[in-house]
Amino acid sequence: MNEQPMYVAFIGNPNCGKTTLFNAYTGANLKVANWPGVTVEKKEGPYAFKGQSFRLVDLPGIYSLTSYTMEEKVARQYIMGDEVSVIVDVVDASCLERNLYLALQLIEMGRPVVVALNMMDIVEERGMEIDLHRLPEVLGVPVIPVSARKKTGLDVLMHAVAHHGEAGREPDRLEHHHAKGEGHHHHDHHKDHAVVYSDDIEDKIDLLEERLLEKWPDMVNVRWHAIKILEDDEEVMRQHPIDTSDILERSYETDIINQKYDFIEEVVQECLFNKEAKSERTDRVDRVLTHTVWGIPVFLGIMALVFFFTFTVGDFLKGYFEAGLDILSGAVSGALEAIHVSPVLESLVVDGVIAGVGGILTFLPNIFILFLALAVLEDSGYMARVAYVMDGLMSRLGLSGRAFIPMLLGFGCTVPAIMASRTLENRRDRMKTILITPFMSCSARLPIYVLLSELFFGRYAMLAAYSMYVIGLAVAILVALVVHLIDRQSNSNRLLIELPEYKTPNGHTIAIYVWEKVKEYLTKAGTTIFVASLVLWAVMNFGPGGLVDAEHIGNSFGASIGHAVAPLFAPAGLGYWQIVLSLIAGIAAKEVVVSSMSILFGVSNVNSAAGMSAMAAGLGAMGFTALNAYAMMVFCLLYIPCAATIGIIRKETGSWKWTIFAIMFQLAVAYVMAALVFQIGSLLV
Amino acid sequence: MKMKDGKKGGTYLVEDIRLEEAIMRRLQMLGMIQGTQVEILNKKHSALIFKVRGTRYAIGTAVAAGIEVKEVSGDE
Repeated sequence: MNEQPMYVAFIGNPNCGKTTLFNAYTGANLKVANWPGVTVEKKEGPYAFKGQSFRLVDLPGIYSLTSYTMEEKVARQYIMGDEVSVIVDVVDASCLERNLYLALQLIEMGRPVVVALNMMDIVEERGMEIDLHRLPEVLGVPVIPVSARKKTGLDVLMHAVAHHGEAGREPDRLEHHHAKGEGHHHHDHHKDHAVVYSDDIEDKIDLLEERLLEKWPDMVNVRWHAIKILEDDEEVMRQHPIDTSDILERSYETDIINQKYDFIEEVVQECLFNKEAKSERTDRVDRVLTHTVWGIPVFLGIMALVFFFTFTVGDFLKGYFEAGLDILSGAVSGALEAIHVSPVLESLVVDGVIAGVGGILTFLPNIFILFLALAVLEDSGYMARVAYVMDGLMSRLGLSGRAFIPMLLGFGCTVPAIMASRTLENRRDRMKTILITPFMSCSARLPIYVLLSELFFGRYAMLAAYSMYVIGLAVAILVALVVHLIDRQSNSNRLLIELPEYKTPNGHTIAIYVWEKVKEYLTKAGTTIFVASLVLWAVMNFGPGGLVDAEHIGNSFGASIGHAVAPLFAPAGLGYWQIVLSLIAGIAAKEVVVSSMSILFGVSNVNSAAGMSAMAAGLGAMGFTALNAYAMMVFCLLYIPCAATIGIIRKETGSWKWTIFAIMFQLAVAYVMAALVFQIGSLLV
Repeated sequence: MKMKDGKKGGTYLVEDIRLEEAIMRRLQMLGMIQGTQVEILNKKHSALIFKVRGTRYAIGTAVAAGIEVKEVSGDE
């Protein structure tokens, strides 16, 4: 029995089913954090098997182990580090050729590797066969067939991991010899290394190894370092600078890649049968979904459906939440009165916490449906197609189609959407995408639309809410176009994205994804929104003269702040101190706009019929009409999403100057648009 | 010929890739090297979808313009 957990890293190409496999072991029992210093997500979870405890670490999905991207650097550093005992390379068996490239790079690094041959069910479905005896022989590492989707082979894989980790890093016996004619290289490496390069490359590797060992006699895996130096790898060259001018005339990266693929072709020829068996289903689906003419209407239809479900099914479920909240609010109020708690404390709990936090919780069903839909789009393989479908439009804005994926994710939450902009090809595109993504209406803004449109637009409520998404998208496109016209430089379209096979979304993967998002929302309700509600309650109930009662709320600190700023917002139809105050509070998180309004108008459940009419009466009394409400929705759509977004913009751009520019820009756009709506609307009404 | 001038449904062999370092390397690592067979599955003015080594990718026209290919004749 071993007390110390064994660290096992999961690595693999994007779309190889790595996350599904990882989830199959850990379930929802995950710790999600960032890798130190970067905003690449790091997932970690415990697992126990036959008395051995493991710590599973999910590395980012990558195609290779160079140091071109942040993800690759993170993965490489972790694999080279001391913490990890065994690396599980998840290989998509239905796509063996490309996946073996990363596998060979990993094996070359000399750490213990176990290959998890995933998607074996698909391979069989397609009538392909893989020689499971030969493959480990030519690779020199254990190869375990698994299906993450059907959860088969999981125990065998962990057994191999535990065993391989104990056995240390001695490679298994290699039984492969691919000598081509007469060579001059004086060593035979075929017994030690899976990939053996051409003689002139092997000569150079030998020379570099010698030179490296002279300087660092204790270096482990010299061969890998030598190969990386041949590839002109920035990071290895920086960490281990040696003089190579007499050995190398150029970068041999292309040669090394070519020869790895030569080897892969040999392996595939030996181990894979019926390779030509086609994947017709994906081609058939793609004929419709990526159709030159129909692609865009189909996409718009899918999105319309997503929002239709978000509003209708979400609203249906919301009814139950509201009833529950009403009961809770009444019960707590009654209980507090019964035990003679001071009215101030009762007000804090009922008007502050329940009104603020509870009100937000009733929107959970809408948000749940939205994230569920986004997860299905992602897991089915459709999301990547959107990049192709929207590429025509995006290239006119000087962006690649790939930039549309962060924008689409922005409908869910701006923070991960901005993080997703990292996959873009260059910095200029990234900055532009970061600037426009916040205009995509995120789920936190949904409560504002739902509340205001139900209050003011009656049977057109859904249409009013829908229009926000369209306006947000239109503003994003317009801004991108203007930026593109100002700066004509980035004209070339650098789109490059894998279009994975379509598959039936995996219930387990989706459940975990949605649960993560719901948890985030609940945490936000329990922290940011909770604190904001308390602060707001405090500024509303205290004034320069101490505690103020409900009739004299105008004497509170909150009212003074609101009154001071309100005139500034009058041209946009938002010149009311209560509205201004909730907009300011909304910078903490957009939902706070709603919770603030509940507190300001003394409504404990904004979604109940009584709550609605109380708020409508309050708003009506101050002359706030449907037009004001629409202007407010537009303003909320476009101004700074939340504190977390500011934080992520700062992190991703690495510049405060840029972040402040983005904030000011969003404020200006929001103000101008809201004012336009209000002024033009006033002329018409 | 350039890959961007390829026909939908056509099969080609990669002859040369001339693009900026980062994107060229990325294509190479996906297995787009000299002599690799690619099949163009779909095409529009700004981008195209192709298949290489069993995987589909979408690339922009500017990328496809940097890939030199030759057509695989039908009777081969």
